[in-house]
Amino acid sequence: MIKKVAIVGVGYTNFRSTTPDLSYRELTYEAATKAYEEAGVDPRKDIDSFVSTAEDFFEGYSIADEYCPDQLGAVLKPVNTIAGDFLQSLITAYMMILTGRLNIVAVQAMSKASNMTTLGELELFAFDPVFNRPLAENPHFVAGLEMNRYLHDTKTTREQCAKVVVKNKKNALNNPYAGHGAKITVEDVLNSKIISYPLTHLDISPASDGAVVMVLASEEIAKKLTRKPIWIRGVGWCSDTFSLESRDWGESTSTRLAAEMAYKMADIDNPKKEIDVVELSDIYSYKELQHLEALKFCNKGEAGKMIDNGITEIGGELPVNPSGGSLGVGHLYECSGAQKTLEIVLQLRGEVGKRQVKNANIGLAHSWRGVPTTTSVIAILGN
Amino acid sequence: MGITEKINRNIDITSWKGKIPVNYIYTAGIAGEKFFREIKDNAKIVGTKCEKCEVTYVPPKIYCERCFARLENYIDVGTKGTIHTFTILHENLDGTKKEEPTIIAVVKIDGTDGGLIHWLGEIDPKDVKIGMHIKAVFKSKEKREGSILDIKYFKPI
Repeated sequence: MIKKVAIVGVGYTNFRSTTPDLSYRELTYEAATKAYEEAGVDPRKDIDSFVSTAEDFFEGYSIADEYCPDQLGAVLKPVNTIAGDFLQSLITAYMMILTGRLNIVAVQAMSKASNMTTLGELELFAFDPVFNRPLAENPHFVAGLEMNRYLHDTKTTREQCAKVVVKNKKNALNNPYAGHGAKITVEDVLNSKIISYPLTHLDISPASDGAVVMVLASEEIAKKLTRKPIWIRGVGWCSDTFSLESRDWGESTSTRLAAEMAYKMADIDNPKKEIDVVELSDIYSYKELQHLEALKFCNKGEAGKMIDNGITEIGGELPVNPSGGSLGVGHLYECSGAQKTLEIVLQLRGEVGKRQVKNANIGLAHSWRGVPTTTSVIAILGN
Repeated sequence: MGITEKINRNIDITSWKGKIPVNYIYTAGIAGEKFFREIKDNAKIVGTKCEKCEVTYVPPKIYCERCFARLENYIDVGTKGTIHTFTILHENLDGTKKEEPTIIAVVKIDGTDGGLIHWLGEIDPKDVKIGMHIKAVFKSKEKREGSILDIKYFKPI
């Protein structure tokens, strides 16, 4: 029998398009202070290990991991950094506790996207240097290529993708921590400027700043620290080939395989029936629909109907991205999965007011690392 | 809040502009070297085939993604393919509007499981369709330097 591990405290900043008043380290410090206060732990005495999340070029440092301990209260303590998404860091922290040698582990992610003045070039630097980078094109083209093939294969329409944007930005209006809530129409999305056909400006989530810290604990400790532990029921992660030339363009295979891994661990046979609330990657509008299919909430080509029928609305049968998602909260890079996990934790605790999903007992958080990556990570949480 | 004294006037905020001059030499490797040499010298596209998995990789790889076998069987795969998907890009790298949009496609090379990411040319954006048959247009031999840009674009057949 696998040991139980819970999230016992969360701390987060607001997510905003800019945060000129705070340095990236102070942003993390704010989230960490809140998380430790909520969990009732002293990082200098109680926390056994820390896991941070950082991508050197996004942070603006070589060896950015060396800059992680101070603002987490982790100096002269065991620390390691994951160059990936927060959910990968969460799984690392989870596994540390499963060893039985560590009882309390903190996990962190942060985005200071507003500091990146050449975002397009930094993203292009993630492309294969000899086969792809010489084209020197805006990296959104990868999403344009994928969206076009997805629409072609599944007969999903641009209108259905636009409905995702409308829903998520509407949800964000009821989320105080979201930076991009708006009341807009399908026409607004379709008529916004074309970036990379069929992708328009409003189909793309806006880059944003923010930080999240969570405290994880073993079962015995968790029960002492909080009356509302949120248990980790299952995790999965997977990366497809990085080659643009040989990857699958129509579906998110890495999400499907990560989901199979997580569902098996959480003993979930019918995700649509058994999962009450979902936060999944919607960095681009069509990704929400593509990911719904990969996560087996419907068959391939049926996600468009789910949005048409209101199934994924907060009051629907399967609420998806009640926080507003990346489209409504903002695109947080390595911190994307942290915002997804945060919303699931708050939903399961019943603490989100107007956007509360009724009878939320099991939730799924999913992240994808944005173009040009093919890495997907999933955590299934329960109360 | 972790801090008690906040900055509350934008005019008080300063920032420093940093620049990371990144220069790096990338070698194309054994398979990449072969691929770019064939493009430069012979205007040919080559791939490698995994006999066991019956998968042909373009660009070539020295290992099979599926069974991890070593691949040494280089084959000429011709210069024709189909449009697997395409996009019409209106923005430059810095987010400014392009004077003319570019059409970028995933080109599946005929008879292989791989392809190339490249521009489409000699076609109006509104006439491009998924599944369209196309072929590579190379730069003249004296202008080729062993780069993916030795192919100017793909055009309809």
